[in-house]
Amino acid sequence: MITVTNLSKTFLDPDNCRVDTLNGVTFHLSKGEVVGVIGPSGAGKSILLRCMAGLEHPTGEEIKVTPGMRIGMVFQHLNLFSHLTVLENVTLAPIKLLGMGRQEAEELAMSMLRRVGMSEHARRMPSTLSGGQQQRAAIARTLAMKPDVLLMDEPTSSLDPTMVDEVQGVVSSLAQEGMTMVIVTHEMRFANAVCNRIFFMHEGCVLEEGAPEQIFENPRMPQTRAFVQRIRCLEFNISSGDFDFYDMRSQIKQFCIRCSIAEKMGEVTHVVDEMFALISDFRNPIHIEVNHSDLKQETTVTVLQYGAEVSALDNPDADELAVMIIRGMSKSSKTEHTPEGVKTIFEI
Amino acid sequence: MTTTIKEQNGELVAFFEGSLDTAASLQTEKDIQPLLTADKNILLNCEKLEYISSSGLRIFLQILKAAKPRGLHVFVTGMNKDILKVFSLTGFNNLLEFRD
Repeated sequence: MITVTNLSKTFLDPDNCRVDTLNGVTFHLSKGEVVGVIGPSGAGKSILLRCMAGLEHPTGEEIKVTPGMRIGMVFQHLNLFSHLTVLENVTLAPIKLLGMGRQEAEELAMSMLRRVGMSEHARRMPSTLSGGQQQRAAIARTLAMKPDVLLMDEPTSSLDPTMVDEVQGVVSSLAQEGMTMVIVTHEMRFANAVCNRIFFMHEGCVLEEGAPEQIFENPRMPQTRAFVQRIRCLEFNISSGDFDFYDMRSQIKQFCIRCSIAEKMGEVTHVVDEMFALISDFRNPIHIEVNHSDLKQETTVTVLQYGAEVSALDNPDADELAVMIIRGMSKSSKTEHTPEGVKTIFEI
Repeated sequence: MTTTIKEQNGELVAFFEGSLDTAASLQTEKDIQPLLTADKNILLNCEKLEYISSSGLRIFLQILKAAKPRGLHVFVTGMNKDILKVFSLTGFNNLLEFRD
C-alpha cells in the first residue's frame, strides 16, 4: 500500500544549520498491518507520520502510495471545530471534499460515530464532551473520509489517564476490523497488545523493526533494549526530620503524571508518608526510590533504612494505623537485607 | 494546612483545608484544642481536606475520645475518595458519624 524508500527530512535551525529529523527511513506497509512506532522523543516519529500524511515534504527520496489510496490522520491534540456539533464535525469533510449530499453524509457520520461508541453524543458540542469522547469523535471524523490507512500520532497522550482506555479500546477494535494503521505511541503495553509490527526509531532512523514479541521481549539492538526496558526512577535521601516533605510530595505528583500513573499518586504518597512516620528517627539516613516500568506497568516504592536490621514496618512497636494504611495502599511488600541496611519494597 | 473553628447552628464546625500529613499534624493538633473542651456537638468539615495520614487520623480520634464521655456527637462531612479509602482501611468509617 505504501512504500517508503530512503526517506529523509532536513530542517534548518534558527542558525541555518541543517538538522536531520529523518535519515534514510525505508519500509513497506501492507494492507491490514498495524504498525506501532516507538522511540525516545526527538527520534522523528511524528515527522515520519506527517511526511506519510503529506503534511510535510520529504527532503530526499520518496513515498510511493498505491494510486487512489486515502490516508487519514488523527492528531495528538484534540482539534474538533468548537462551533460545530459532533455530527457537523464528522459530516463537514464528506460534504465539502467528497461532494456528498447532507443526508448521505449524516448516515455515514452516524455509522462512524456508532463504530467509536459516540452516536448518542452526535448533537452535542465538543466543549461538553470529555477528552476521551472528543478524541473518539475525532477518530470518527477521520473514518468518515473512508481512509485506507489511518495514521495516529500519540492519540492518547493529551488525555486524562482515566480516558486512555476508551480510546485504546476503539483503536483495538479498528485493528480487529482489519484497518491498516500506523500508530505513534509511548504506551508500550498498548503497542504490544494491538500492533503486529513495531518500529523502534532512534535519531531519525528505524533502528530495529519486528514483531512485538521480538522488540519487547528480545530486542537485538542495545538502544532498543534500553528504551523498552526503561525504568523511570525518582529518588530521595533523607538524613534529618527537617527534610522538605512538601517538596517530596510535589515531586511524587509530577513523577506520577510524567509516567501516566496519576491514579497511583495517592497510594505512592500514603506509603512514603506512613513509612516516613514509622521511621521518625533519622539518625541513620534513609533512601527512598519510586520506580516505574512502562512496559510492565509496574510501580514500586523502595525504602532503604541504612544500618537497620528490621524494617520499620515489621517493628513490633510500629504504629498500627500507619501499618494498616501501608498494607491497604500497597499490593504487596517484601524486605531484603543488604550490607547497607534493610530494604522494604512495596508494589503499588 | 489550615484549621478554622466556627460556631454554626449550635455546633462547633472545624474546617480543614490542605493536607493533614505527618509534617502538618503537630500544628493541627494545637489548632483543634478548643474542640477537646467543647460542650456542643462537633462537625469535621473535610470538603477542602485533600489528604489525611495516620497522624491526622489520630487527631480525629483524639477529638472523638474527648467528646464521647460528654455525650457529644462527632460528625464528618465532605471527604474525598482518597480520604474515604483511608477511613475504610483503618475502620474509621465505623467510628465516625457521616453527614451528607
